[in-house]
Amino acid sequence: MSDTVSRLVSASAAAAVAATLFVCGVPSAKADEDVWPTLKQANFGDRDIKAEDGFVTLDAPVTAEDAAIVPLTVRIPPSVKDNLKSLTLIIDKNPNPVVAKVHFGPAAGNGGERSFATRVRIDNFSHVRAILETEDGTLHMATKFVQAAGGCAAMQAKDPEADMAGLGKMIVKTFPPALSTTPLFEGQVMIKHPNSNGMQLDINSGDPIPARFVKEVVVKRDGELVFDMDTTFSISTNPNFRFTFGRGADNALDVAITDTDGTLFTSKSQPSGS
Amino acid sequence: MPGKLDICSHCGGPPLSRRGLLQISVALASVPFLRPIPGFAATPAADALEVTEIAPGVFVHQGRYEMQSPENRGNMANAGFIVGNDAVAVIDTLGSEEVGEQLRNAVRAVTDKPIRYVINTHMHPDHVFGNAAFKQDNPEFVANRKLERGLRARAERYLMINKKMLGPEAFKGIEIVLPTVAVDDKLTLDLGGRSLLLETQPTAHTDNDLIITDSATNTMFLGDILFSGHVPTLDGSIEGWLAVIDNLKQRKVARVVPGHGPHAMELPQAFDPEEHYLATIATDVRKMIKDGKTIEDATKTAGFEARDSWKLFDDYHVRNVTAAFAELEWE
Repeated sequence: MSDTVSRLVSASAAAAVAATLFVCGVPSAKADEDVWPTLKQANFGDRDIKAEDGFVTLDAPVTAEDAAIVPLTVRIPPSVKDNLKSLTLIIDKNPNPVVAKVHFGPAAGNGGERSFATRVRIDNFSHVRAILETEDGTLHMATKFVQAAGGCAAMQAKDPEADMAGLGKMIVKTFPPALSTTPLFEGQVMIKHPNSNGMQLDINSGDPIPARFVKEVVVKRDGELVFDMDTTFSISTNPNFRFTFGRGADNALDVAITDTDGTLFTSKSQPSGS
Repeated sequence: MPGKLDICSHCGGPPLSRRGLLQISVALASVPFLRPIPGFAATPAADALEVTEIAPGVFVHQGRYEMQSPENRGNMANAGFIVGNDAVAVIDTLGSEEVGEQLRNAVRAVTDKPIRYVINTHMHPDHVFGNAAFKQDNPEFVANRKLERGLRARAERYLMINKKMLGPEAFKGIEIVLPTVAVDDKLTLDLGGRSLLLETQPTAHTDNDLIITDSATNTMFLGDILFSGHVPTLDGSIEGWLAVIDNLKQRKVARVVPGHGPHAMELPQAFDPEEHYLATIATDVRKMIKDGKTIEDATKTAGFEARDSWKLFDDYHVRNVTAAFAELEWE
């Protein structure tokens, strides 16, 4: 009996180590391999992608100071007048390279600099890409190369108990523009969620904790869709999104978030940017 | 920095043979305090780290304020050992098997008593990667209950990064050695004639910090809950860390040993610079969150006036602000 138990424990420990290797082990040949052609084919097929054509820019740090929380900001300059169809964020070398795919709705807004920001995990030296699809169906890409910093930064939660304790707590904020004539508002959505990738270990059993992460985020302004987004565990613990949206009557945001366990979390902002 | 009791100036000195070292040790045996044990650099195998006896039977090695490199071999943290009537306890083992072995040689230069305990103050590589050098002593490896989870989850990444930064030579022999004894709250270890009180702490520098107090000399090893000179690095909770500092400052101990900094310091002032650094980040970040600023804005300005006060500021400060922002925006 006890022999069986110990064999089970060591088997699960071995599985955990193997899983960790899968995420963090970096064979140098693979690290140098250009995976973009494969990723492009898988996500966009044979469609033409215009690189660095001024439709979209990407702000990312040159060095990921904390590989678990790397801020990314995508900007669409005011010179772009087109409505937006979708935005795809890709980190070439992550275990799941597609970070998020955002589908914009009628309340996404227009008439100024539009932006979308989040925080991601970056597992290795990697290209990070923002691919914007405008209303006419053309694709535009901005790319940055981010290096993982040396030292002790880790993908893993700093305090797993604290992360789990507040699971599902949400903050939704709106920021009115400085000028009342500006047609774009800013919004922020935060949710307490470990966004665990299945590679963390249970402190008592040593077994991997099953993956549980946010997979869909729907944001509406005054009932109209701002965006609907599919996400993966490349988004950092406590997912955080900051974005522009079109000015409406009340500018109240309604947010619905679903995770891989099927749990639905909802929240809303107070009207008029309070 | 006020309040620093820096006694490192005693520990330089020319390399000595083992015989010379033993003669000096005998000559100084009646001196209870601050006995320098110089390293002797003859052959690498016989290499022993410099240690200083900061209190009777309490020895500390001071690491360099550097990132790990092929030159420093992973010797960038403080480590120590405490000698009882029956046994020895080692506190932290530095950042490679090689310097761990040199720390072990320093123990052996002082005493032949068995190394019964190897205690790790937290999971970071510069404090645990020398554990492998002590496996030959078959000690109990003792740590906070949460260390194993943290270290196992990060093991592959730690190994990968350290292999790259130390280079293949200094990386040789490094392996992950997990605790054999886990501390849940408090644990007392008897060394014969003196005992060590081990106390876990709420999440501060990491979620698996452990402090150790020697009953005979009232010396407290704080691990990386206390940084001096070397900029603090936040891998736990800024709020939690400030609360732990507030609590530990009240302790009445003869001296404390930081995880990075001089061999020994005095409470409460030892904590002042670190507390000021963390509190300034917290204040700046809270104001920026209130003003609707972003995490990128914060990493460009928050806490930067401390830049000239700390070594390795450019290597760790932005990461500290990033972690602080992600924590404090939930208030």
